[in-house]
Amino acid sequence: MAVESNVVDAAGPYDRAKALGAFKLGDVTFYWITRLSAISVLLILGGIILSLIIGAFPAMKEFGFSFLWTQRWAPSADPPVLGALGPIYGTLVTSFIAMLIAIPVGLGIAIFLTELCPQWLRRPIGMAIELLAGIPSIIYGMWGFFVLGPFLANSFQPFMIKVFDSVPVLGSIFAGPPSYLSLFNAALILAIMVLPFITSISVDVFKTVPPVLKEAAYGVGCTTWEVVRSVVIPYTRVGVIGGVMLALGRALGETMAVTFIIGNSFRISGSIFAPGTTISAAIASEFAESDGLHQSGLILLGLLLFVLTFFVLAGARLMLMRLEKKAGN
Amino acid sequence: MSELSVSMSAAGGLPQAPVLPEAPAKVTVRNLNFYYGEHHALKNINLALGTNRVTAFIGPSGCGKSTLLRIFNRMYDLYPGQRATGQLMLDQTNILDPRLDLNLLRARVGMVFQKPTPFPMTIYENIAFGIRLYEKISKSEMDDRVEKALRGGALWNEVKDKLNASGLSLSGGQQQRLCIARTVAVRPEVILFDEPCSALDPISTAKVEELIQELSENYTIAIVTHNMQQAARVSDKTAFMYLGELIEFDDTSKIFTSPTDRRTQDYITGRFG
Repeated sequence: MAVESNVVDAAGPYDRAKALGAFKLGDVTFYWITRLSAISVLLILGGIILSLIIGAFPAMKEFGFSFLWTQRWAPSADPPVLGALGPIYGTLVTSFIAMLIAIPVGLGIAIFLTELCPQWLRRPIGMAIELLAGIPSIIYGMWGFFVLGPFLANSFQPFMIKVFDSVPVLGSIFAGPPSYLSLFNAALILAIMVLPFITSISVDVFKTVPPVLKEAAYGVGCTTWEVVRSVVIPYTRVGVIGGVMLALGRALGETMAVTFIIGNSFRISGSIFAPGTTISAAIASEFAESDGLHQSGLILLGLLLFVLTFFVLAGARLMLMRLEKKAGN
Repeated sequence: MSELSVSMSAAGGLPQAPVLPEAPAKVTVRNLNFYYGEHHALKNINLALGTNRVTAFIGPSGCGKSTLLRIFNRMYDLYPGQRATGQLMLDQTNILDPRLDLNLLRARVGMVFQKPTPFPMTIYENIAFGIRLYEKISKSEMDDRVEKALRGGALWNEVKDKLNASGLSLSGGQQQRLCIARTVAVRPEVILFDEPCSALDPISTAKVEELIQELSENYTIAIVTHNMQQAARVSDKTAFMYLGELIEFDDTSKIFTSPTDRRTQDYITGRFG
């Protein structure tokens, strides 16, 4: 008996050490795989920024900071003049209008789906929203070009132009003539495109509100609207703003659909019914035929879009932190 | 299992609320039936909640006591497929009337839940929010009301220096008292407590129980509890429910000392539950 137990004792620690060694190797491998994956993100990001800067350097050297506030875009002039003010303006204005439309509509749909919608209607609407997100942007572009643009130019635009004709500030925002290709049309298409982001994320976060919290709000006598405004939205604020930011990021960078219907004009007009361009649309429509300084200028535009998006997202983060402080967290 | 041990001792000579004279009925339940879809959850319930009395509902899980509570303020209305039949009167108002204004009903019948449910806003706003739904009052009046409500919830001394902190920053027991204060602030007539202490530690539980006793001077109270000591301590009348039926309804002292029904006796002595 004693001999037997000795054998077991001797074999035990040996086997265990071996088994642990195998685990350890697995652990180390796992650690390095995850670490390399994480580092690769930084490398890719850094590489993109670096190559953008290198590509944009000739244009930066040529135009300096005046690139930012020059409106003229004449790559074939002698000497060529390139200014980014038109595309920057177009990008900001179209994204702003798109969010102005998409946020209330998207939140409205989300509130309806989670709080008010009868059970049998939930799935069809939810599926329609998801399908909307699945439509390729080129299809939005064609639809905007052939259907939405003419429709707006024949109905909505003349109406707005007429209504605000003699109103001081609004009159110049909604100034004629109606156009198939305009900032407003592009913004409307963008709004439709980002709507699914806002809605589906909002629906998901609205569902995280504990039912008992809503019951408590109904319990003090709130109406559905009061429950949504005072409990559901504050409770899910961070998630909703996250969805909005995702949507804004997409709106700022969306290229194909916008290129189709914005008109690609570098001139800035006070009217949102006039043609314009965005940074990504300008790059997409000119990059293939560009070379030398012109191409470098387009790459500089790309770098600007990168910076612009970064600042918008950083600003949103800051706003969120302020909100949290106000709510007492 | 802890429930069992608690109930064992509940049968012993615990300090019990003195027997008060019969009070006029505030809420009257007649032939009440309730259905979750096809499931018949409450069967022919008849009882009355006395004005400014505490009525406790006890019984094993799934016996329908919380369901009954949720009928008193029509909370079940939020969910499709749930319906009640019979008669349920709050004074002269028929609670089950489909045309009844639910927001007004819920202002008259407040509810405190099992888990603390502070709203995602400051402590002050948690209270002011409910008041603002029904009354337009000035800032100074509102300050008074908030203070009064927080005193009513036995919370004022703990939070008076941090009214602008988030309601979520309070401890569990404080949050629950905040919810009670919030309910009281709307000046209801009836307050429903759905296992208000099941998520609280013993000290917070004692505070909330004390509070319930104080509130019973001005409000009609219904409390669902799994803790039989608690029922014995805070209530004037106790209803024992089992499988959707009201088995026995009597003075708390009578239920806990000489119940008439065999099942009540088995439950309070811990033979099942």
